[in-house]
Amino acid sequence: MPKHGIVPAGTVRFLAFAALVFIIGAAFTAVEPRFLSTQNISAVTRHMAANGLAALGLTLVVIVRKFDLSFAGTACFSAMTIGFMIAGGHDLWLCIMAGVLAAAIVGAFNGIAISYFGLPDIVTTIATGSIAGGLAFLYSQGRTIFRNFVTSGILDLNDARLFGYSASFFFLIALYAVAWVFMHRTRYGASFHATGENPVSAYFSGVPTRAYTMMAFIICAITSVFAVVLILAESGTADTNKGATLLMPAYAGVFLGAALLGGTSVLATLAGTLLITMLLDGFSLLGVPYYYSDGVVSAILLTGVVLFDARVRQLFSDLASFIQPVTSASEKRS
Amino acid sequence: MTVPALCAKAVSKRFGRINALDDVDFVLEKGEVHALLGVNGAGKSTFIKILSGVYIKDKGVIEVDGREIDCHNPKDAIRCGIATVQQHPELVADFTGYENIFLGRESARAGFLSGIDRSVLKRRGDELLSRFPVEIDLSRRIEDMSAVEREIIAILQAIGGDHIRILILDEPTSTLTEVEKEVLFRLMNTLRASGISILYITHRLEEVMEIADRFSVFRGGRMISTMTPQQVRDKNLSLAELMLGETLGAVFPDKADPAQLGELVLDVRNLRHQRLFSNVSFQLRRGEILGVFGLVGSGIDELSKVLYGALATDAGSVELNGRKVSPKSPAEALKAGIFLVPGDRRVEGLALQQSSIFNITLANLGRASSFAGFLKRSANRRESEEFAARVALSPANVTMPVSGFSGGNQQKIVVAKGLFADADVYIFVEPTVGVDIGARAKLYGLMRELAMTSGVIVMSTDCDEAHGISDRAFALYKGRQVVPADGVFTRNELLMAGIIGDATHA
Repeated sequence: MPKHGIVPAGTVRFLAFAALVFIIGAAFTAVEPRFLSTQNISAVTRHMAANGLAALGLTLVVIVRKFDLSFAGTACFSAMTIGFMIAGGHDLWLCIMAGVLAAAIVGAFNGIAISYFGLPDIVTTIATGSIAGGLAFLYSQGRTIFRNFVTSGILDLNDARLFGYSASFFFLIALYAVAWVFMHRTRYGASFHATGENPVSAYFSGVPTRAYTMMAFIICAITSVFAVVLILAESGTADTNKGATLLMPAYAGVFLGAALLGGTSVLATLAGTLLITMLLDGFSLLGVPYYYSDGVVSAILLTGVVLFDARVRQLFSDLASFIQPVTSASEKRS
Repeated sequence: MTVPALCAKAVSKRFGRINALDDVDFVLEKGEVHALLGVNGAGKSTFIKILSGVYIKDKGVIEVDGREIDCHNPKDAIRCGIATVQQHPELVADFTGYENIFLGRESARAGFLSGIDRSVLKRRGDELLSRFPVEIDLSRRIEDMSAVEREIIAILQAIGGDHIRILILDEPTSTLTEVEKEVLFRLMNTLRASGISILYITHRLEEVMEIADRFSVFRGGRMISTMTPQQVRDKNLSLAELMLGETLGAVFPDKADPAQLGELVLDVRNLRHQRLFSNVSFQLRRGEILGVFGLVGSGIDELSKVLYGALATDAGSVELNGRKVSPKSPAEALKAGIFLVPGDRRVEGLALQQSSIFNITLANLGRASSFAGFLKRSANRRESEEFAARVALSPANVTMPVSGFSGGNQQKIVVAKGLFADADVYIFVEPTVGVDIGARAKLYGLMRELAMTSGVIVMSTDCDEAHGISDRAFALYKGRQVVPADGVFTRNELLMAGIIGDATHA
């Protein structure tokens, strides 16, 4: 780990992150002054809530060193489940619980297949994601559902305000606070970290590593439902593609955050999500078509993964230490 | 006077602070079978790895046929005429003998698209067999072959290049039966008659007497002497006398006073795991350290994992404090009061990027947290610091990642983890591999300290360790328990029990 004088490395990373937020914000504001308008900031916080909720569960999966590529399909499935229940005139909370249950079943299936039966995580979750995405079509043969949405009360979730900002943003912050305490202050968080860092030593220390791996997949599926509820509330309809847009922002949030703050964690994901949401929102404000902005976000995700990779970082630090003596030698000569 | 096949002069090799080879002089004559003897860590493996180009020597000269050679990789060594067969040769299980012998050099005019011509392989394989007659059907697949047939395939593969003059065999007989051994020896005799010199590692003196022209004894990185079987007969020497040198003595703490032993804590009866070991029975009292000596593959690692619940018990029973236990997982073993200090601490014992506090508390998270699951952070830190002081952790920093500590101090962290887990039985496997002598003495002291209140089992491939630290010991030889006929094993008896399965030869 590089030494930065007397300032701890964590502080340096946080300052770098703050500077990045400031630069991105300033750049967008310079081009489009509306970026700082109350209306836009409100939109950023709302979108950040959806992206951040989807990324939160994924963070746990990445901490136990697995991947979940199913959760976009799972999110579509739970979106249509909720839409179908709303159309059926059920109580809103019952509808949401049905969505949570649908996602949890897919998550449990992933977790059991991967941790107890040892199936490869990427292939398994691609398959279950496709199956869940297919199941989403069964409720309405693929047609958009909007019946009863206005009367169900789900739209109020989008309009709810606290101190002038979207209530969903405060829900996000509260859930992240709970997640942080859970991951860093309880024995369960310690077990998640132990499982991810070295599953063999964790198992030899009595940690039920398979159960924790399974739980990560279930939690991942459930938090994606929270994100889906916010998306449904914003659009007022449910269609079979409602969760698909969550995949890239969520992964980008987790890995960009990890690259910035030096490791996968709840806080890192929150930081990564803020940056990604600012970028996506800024581009859409400028009228950049989504297929460009998605490309930019994906490029940023790729950069994040490269920076997160320890071998690549080692390469860069080797390069830096190689350059350093050369410059000091040339200084001496002059 | 003829030029020897191979001549080594003042060859040395260091690994960090360890002198693996120290000024070794060695001569291998043309057409002789020359055995290398020595306990684990004596330097014989390092020596043959230098000859075969796996390691690069730090100092010294190696000559083949009177010309100095400089090998930097196994290919160099083969070019110089030195071929090596590893202890567990890597063959392709679903290829035939023919295919394996010529693997990687199937065709002289090798090109990307030139296929494997089976008839050519067969003709060349049969040529090789006519030069070195040995009963084997090369058209069978490796997975259908016996251990000795695989060894023969590996040897034929090694000497497939016509220019090979020196053949190195690393413990070729360790997995063979008596009958199979004779087949191998006939091939070795044929090779010797054709002028190939054979250098081979073994643990068995009677083999040396049977097949070797001469043998050399390694001890502590030095070549002690080169002798002939005739000299052994004349002087009536024993293998133990040849292989063992001075003891470490002072490193080990005092033994327990038999009168002070506590109640029975562990009673193991007829334990079996697959074919790896069977009928293992022993008892352990509080205040006592039990040593278990066995070579790699003897079953000691599996025995530790069966006791710890990480491997299944196929037969037998374990009683802990008078109650029958059969842990299905390490979690259950820990709950019952058994703690394992595993052999590979970096893979099995520690989360390297996490702090000492994290690692020390991990095996007993119930103690480390309140009943709602919240970690007792200040208490954990205080206790971790206490345990760190007790195991003399250096540097005494419990918040830095454990990857920053030396091997010996990492092992101390695992011991501290065991102290926090508060077990009735502590099982140490290979506790001092990669640990320097100072930390070793401290670790041995800690084992004795643990034995004040618990039962301690130390399993090791190092006979001196298993004997020196323990109050009594038994050996595992190819999964078979070898116990003293009466009383306790002497160090020589334990060594013989572990490496030939019979203590009476000591």
